Amino acid sequence: MIKGHDISYAHKNFHILKSVNLSVEYGEFLAIIGPNGAGKSTLLSVLANEISAQQKNNVLFKEKEFRQWNLKDLSQNKAKFSQHNSDDITLRVKDVVMMGRYPYFNTVPSQNDWQAVEESLKETDVLHLKEREYNSLSGGEKQRVHLARVLAQLKNDVQHKLMFLDEPLNNLDVKHQFKALQSIKNFTQKANTAIVVLHDLNLAAQFADRILLMKNGQVASQGSPEEVFKQEIISDAYSFPCAVCAHPLTKNPMIIFGN
Amino acid sequence: MGVYDFDGKSPLTVLQGMITGNPQVSLSEKYVIWDVRTARIIMAILIGSILAVSGTTMQGMFKNPLATPDLIGITAGATLMAAITIVLGSHFREHLPDFVQNSMLSIAAFLGALLTTLLVYRISTTQGKTNVVIMLLSGVAISALGFAIVGFLIYLSKDEQLRDLTFWNLGSLGGATWQKNGILFLVMLGSYFILIPKGKALNAMMLGEKDAGHLGVNVEKLKKQIVVLVALMIGTCVAFSGTIGFVGLIVPYILRLIFKSNYQLILPLSAVMGSILLLVADTFSRTIVAPSEIPIGVLTAFMGAPVFIAILIRFKNSM
Repeated sequence: MIKGHDISYAHKNFHILKSVNLSVEYGEFLAIIGPNGAGKSTLLSVLANEISAQQKNNVLFKEKEFRQWNLKDLSQNKAKFSQHNSDDITLRVKDVVMMGRYPYFNTVPSQNDWQAVEESLKETDVLHLKEREYNSLSGGEKQRVHLARVLAQLKNDVQHKLMFLDEPLNNLDVKHQFKALQSIKNFTQKANTAIVVLHDLNLAAQFADRILLMKNGQVASQGSPEEVFKQEIISDAYSFPCAVCAHPLTKNPMIIFGN
Repeated sequence: MGVYDFDGKSPLTVLQGMITGNPQVSLSEKYVIWDVRTARIIMAILIGSILAVSGTTMQGMFKNPLATPDLIGITAGATLMAAITIVLGSHFREHLPDFVQNSMLSIAAFLGALLTTLLVYRISTTQGKTNVVIMLLSGVAISALGFAIVGFLIYLSKDEQLRDLTFWNLGSLGGATWQKNGILFLVMLGSYFILIPKGKALNAMMLGEKDAGHLGVNVEKLKKQIVVLVALMIGTCVAFSGTIGFVGLIVPYILRLIFKSNYQLILPLSAVMGSILLLVADTFSRTIVAPSEIPIGVLTAFMGAPVFIAILIRFKNSM
């Protein structure tokens, strides 16, 4: 699906990423975790074609480099949810979500587009806000509107789509955190791929198929949740003591920080 | 409506008579109604529309309702180059081919506008984020420079050039001719053909340039198109009618009050509303102190300055 080979990135002589390799398959939910400044967002930006790594040609999406893609096709195959969403958009909520459908129509949205918008609004639980003005929403509501926009962008018949999400759970309450992750999980269960930067390790353990743990711009560990969430690996990466036990209901690993 | 007396006939009757070929319409009446009045009305419509659309697209590119060509110094840049051409151009004019001579002013104004846009964008924007304060201040700086140089040119210039310069500084539609209207119309047609369908792209830009890219917008190409076409439009307007300020600020401001910032609507509507605004303003400027005229730039500034202040207050509250 997407392969990154020897990705390095430096800003003003400071190395943010040091030769990261990764390969993500169809239908996979990959969670990128790690302490602050580990290079998680930068890695996501390189993979999503926002910034280019130092050497070119080292990210292949569906066996093609990004510059070989047609922009419109690309936007129907992949979407990204950014960490810092604009605060000031003087439009109604439905118009903001409709932006996700821009790759699909020329001037007037079709019935299909409105339907996709409606479904996405429902999925992130903001349907009741659709006539509201975006600027009047709270932080968490804005976050859910953008989530709906990204979901709407990938509602199409294309096989094997890819979604990047940079900390999608910021500002969300518990119910909406689970709802958002469930939407992403549903998306990956249709043979699509999601690469998600997450801070909550327990949620990552519950939902992700694979974990990529980063530290100081390098991959510290990767594998299934059971492989990565081990007491030594986690407390070493976060420089903080922790304990790992089994979740009483799901038997997934559960991480508790502190002594 | 105007100063010329058509022997008690209404201008409309004269126009109708002219179109139907009525022999009672005299040659001077024909000249006034067609080459002066009608040409001027058409010019007001064209220039108003172009100024408003330039303002709206610039605001979309800079993602800020204060980013209009006059406030960020693009108009000043164009005026400056036009002034230099008027005063210094007489020395090398004869050496140029006819075609270049006639369009020299437009080309100079276009280059002035283009260079200023690039300069302001470079100064005020880093990694796709515009610093509004720097943007406005670089506009102030460029306007100051323009003011100084135009002042110096006035000191240097001969009588006839002096009249031209004052005309450019205050703005006037008095120089309307059908040839100018033809050029304006072509510039408008070409620019609108590319810019008016960009409503979706400009909406997406509100998310930020990176996110617009994820929605399939070719951000770099879009910005280049906007910079070149706005420079072309502003350059042509300045060459033909001087500095008519604030149209690009007032029109999108009013439209945003009604339609929010949905560029899919406000972009085409600003083309229409700009025409209406400038036509009304010009009619006022010709009639309220007849037989004299108030410079139209004075009228638009009267309307525009309060809008400017209103946007500043809102901007302050949102900080």
